[in-house]
Amino acid sequence: MQKGEWSMSTHLTEIAFNSSQVNGMNVHILPTGKFKTTTIVTMIEQALSEETVTKTALLAMVMKRASARFKETKRLREHLDFLYGAIFDVDVTKKGERQILQIYMEVPNEKYLTQADSLLEEAIQFVGDMLVRPCVENGAFLEKYVKQEKETLRKRIESLIDDKMKYANQRVTEEMCKGEPFSLLVQGRLEDLPSITGEDLYQYFQELMASNPINMFVVGDVDAGRVRQAIETHIPLQRSTIKTLEISTPEKNIQEERTTVDRLDVSQAKLNIGCRTNITYKDEEYPALLLYNGILGGFPHSKLFVNVREKASLAYYAVSRLESHKGILMIMSGIEAKMFDQAVEIIKAQMETMRQGKISEEELSQTRATLTNQFRELLDSARMMIDFTYNGLLSGRKRQLDELLQAIETVSIDDIKQVADKVKIDMIYLLRDKKGDA
Amino acid sequence: MQTTVFEQVKETVYHETLENGLKVFLVPKQGFSKTYAVFTTRYGSIDSHFQTKSGEEINVPDGIAHFLEHKMFEKKDRDVMHEFSKNGASCNAFTSFNRTAYLFSCTDKLDSNLNLLLDYVQEPYFTDASVEKEKGIIGQEITMYDDNPDWKVYMNLLKALYQDYPINIEIAGTIETISHITKEYLYQCYDTFYHPANMLLLVVGSFEPEAVMKLIRENQSGKDFPPAPQISRIFPEEQSSPAKPLIEANLAVGLPKCMIGIKERENGLTGEALLKRDQTTKLLLDIVFGTSSSVYEKLYDSGLITESFDFDYSCEKDYAYSILGGDTPDPEKLVETIKSVMEECKQAGIDEDAFERAKRKKIGNFMRGLNSVEFIANQFTNYKFNGNDLFSVLPLLESITREDVETRMKEHFLIDQMAVSIVRSASAQE
Repeated sequence: MQKGEWSMSTHLTEIAFNSSQVNGMNVHILPTGKFKTTTIVTMIEQALSEETVTKTALLAMVMKRASARFKETKRLREHLDFLYGAIFDVDVTKKGERQILQIYMEVPNEKYLTQADSLLEEAIQFVGDMLVRPCVENGAFLEKYVKQEKETLRKRIESLIDDKMKYANQRVTEEMCKGEPFSLLVQGRLEDLPSITGEDLYQYFQELMASNPINMFVVGDVDAGRVRQAIETHIPLQRSTIKTLEISTPEKNIQEERTTVDRLDVSQAKLNIGCRTNITYKDEEYPALLLYNGILGGFPHSKLFVNVREKASLAYYAVSRLESHKGILMIMSGIEAKMFDQAVEIIKAQMETMRQGKISEEELSQTRATLTNQFRELLDSARMMIDFTYNGLLSGRKRQLDELLQAIETVSIDDIKQVADKVKIDMIYLLRDKKGDA
Repeated sequence: MQTTVFEQVKETVYHETLENGLKVFLVPKQGFSKTYAVFTTRYGSIDSHFQTKSGEEINVPDGIAHFLEHKMFEKKDRDVMHEFSKNGASCNAFTSFNRTAYLFSCTDKLDSNLNLLLDYVQEPYFTDASVEKEKGIIGQEITMYDDNPDWKVYMNLLKALYQDYPINIEIAGTIETISHITKEYLYQCYDTFYHPANMLLLVVGSFEPEAVMKLIRENQSGKDFPPAPQISRIFPEEQSSPAKPLIEANLAVGLPKCMIGIKERENGLTGEALLKRDQTTKLLLDIVFGTSSSVYEKLYDSGLITESFDFDYSCEKDYAYSILGGDTPDPEKLVETIKSVMEECKQAGIDEDAFERAKRKKIGNFMRGLNSVEFIANQFTNYKFNGNDLFSVLPLLESITREDVETRMKEHFLIDQMAVSIVRSASAQE
């Protein structure tokens, strides 16, 4: 097979992590001279469920407050500043029906600093503090931190309403996926907060560390052997049998589309249309789905942008986005509430043209080119390379970047048409002002 | 073509000022896949009162610089965004208070994309019909911002700080002000501010500098430009104290949002002096309010601030201000606490350890920024327009002393220079 002519750089064109097992974790190292910092990301995988969603979210917040070595948050943060402003964060993200607890750490490479401390080893030790040496008293996380972080988490959940785009997106997901774990907000549920104790949380932490899948990624100008050695020394996790998480992604057959309207004190209405594709990252049709989404609403040349914004002047943004682990395609636009019917009609008409295969050669080639560009840009970001690789691992279908790019080149209009037949509107959602008529 | 090597950060900048006055800067980044180009004019939302080429003094409608940015994408016989898409490039543009930038990033066909960028920004094409059509689109952009509480609390703070200086007006204008925009206004603004001599082109990423400079030179020498107009902007005299102590607004939010601003009393700095003030003030804010400060600890532990608490300093020749704040259950108490903290800090001075740590943190953050082609592209032009080099930030940071920070604290932490902006839910006040 030809490699394709797009390759103008003779540098790194593949994301080649060097993977091995260290202390029961999957460790993936990518040595590259491209970055002036070293990035270490640890991903702890959990099934998204009502029982654990709030605990995982709270745990992320409590973990980053302290460790056995730095019992006071102020001391912990001072140490990070001392490591040349090391970036450190623990948070949760949703990938399909999974909740991922992520520990993110980034330190400058010693090579660019006048004083040569061993920042890399310090950074690995710090991650080890989080995973192996937490701040615990009498078998519980410190009550002070648990109490404060419950408050912080409560405020964070309540502040979802501040960002109307995110709020609309969560609301449409809740309505559309009622009864599926995916409907859960990744930060958890307010009603779970009062009953969680420092003891519960520590027990839960121990379970996660002992038996949930853990993947650790290191990207930077590093020596892989030295990194593995440091992980072995500083992160001596006692791992038992690693759980295989039960993740169900049942096919959803949509009988009829539903509509939900919420009212809030807003000027602009947010229109979200949630669609089921029943195609996920692991499927053969995935590259065709990428093109479907790109042609429909991924770019400024896409049908939604051209027809909703440029031709009808109805919106500033009109886009579609994929949740590739769940197989949901979400259409989003900000409109005047009274233009709801017209906007929905235009959007449906675009989906219909896709079903009929009315896709020009130009639309196809533009979308191929812009998608290819998007994927190649991954190579300039440690964080994005890690995410790309982790998505492959999670889905059970590890695609090389080259392989995906090849697939994007060979998808035909007919393949896209077949995807279009599978894309079904499930929920039409409108967040609008309190004044106008229903 | 001139070459400047920044040893410490291992970066090289290539520079040339072309015959038509366009300043070109190239920053090759070894090993990167993408290239990012930004074509910027020194023209933004504050430039609404000026003399046209014919010497006529005009006031243009608020929001016109942003409107003009939108309209640059429309051409008689082609669609600029589609052209970039054909090349796989991702293109964008933005307007701020004092500049308008057009940019793209690509991993292929750099030559074609660069020509496209230069050509579309240098070929205005405005019609009555397309100007009218854009009013609907921008109208929705404006209402989107109207619903954004973070933007609202920030803009209202600028309105509280500034009485007459036009950073107190919305960058996109209002639905009312943009209704007055015509194609004639757009051409007047374009002719005044888009001459190459008022612009800067920056290319960062994976390329060979000689070849790229040659392409740019050829593109520009193939076009005719009138002599560079003398740009004369007219700004009102701004009082040194804030306009209003407090502005409040209602929007649907989880917790109230509260921002405190400190208006710089003395302005007019340029070049290295400006850069030093900028970096010293940022360091000061981080030492006093950063996540590892005792102030942050106290405010967070008492529940008065959340993780959304943040601060920044903006510094231009004619205006400068600090902002700090975030979500809080009790805005009034937060304001009082911050004021008294500032007074206490002025008494106590700056702790040596805290100073060293903050400096290290700033240095590390800067290094991390250099990993990102976007960071360099976005920051470089800002610094250049103010007569500075982005890559000189590192040695400058290293040269700042604790005494510099203390002096800055005494001139900047002034209660009389402060104003407050609060956004809360309408129901929270009932």
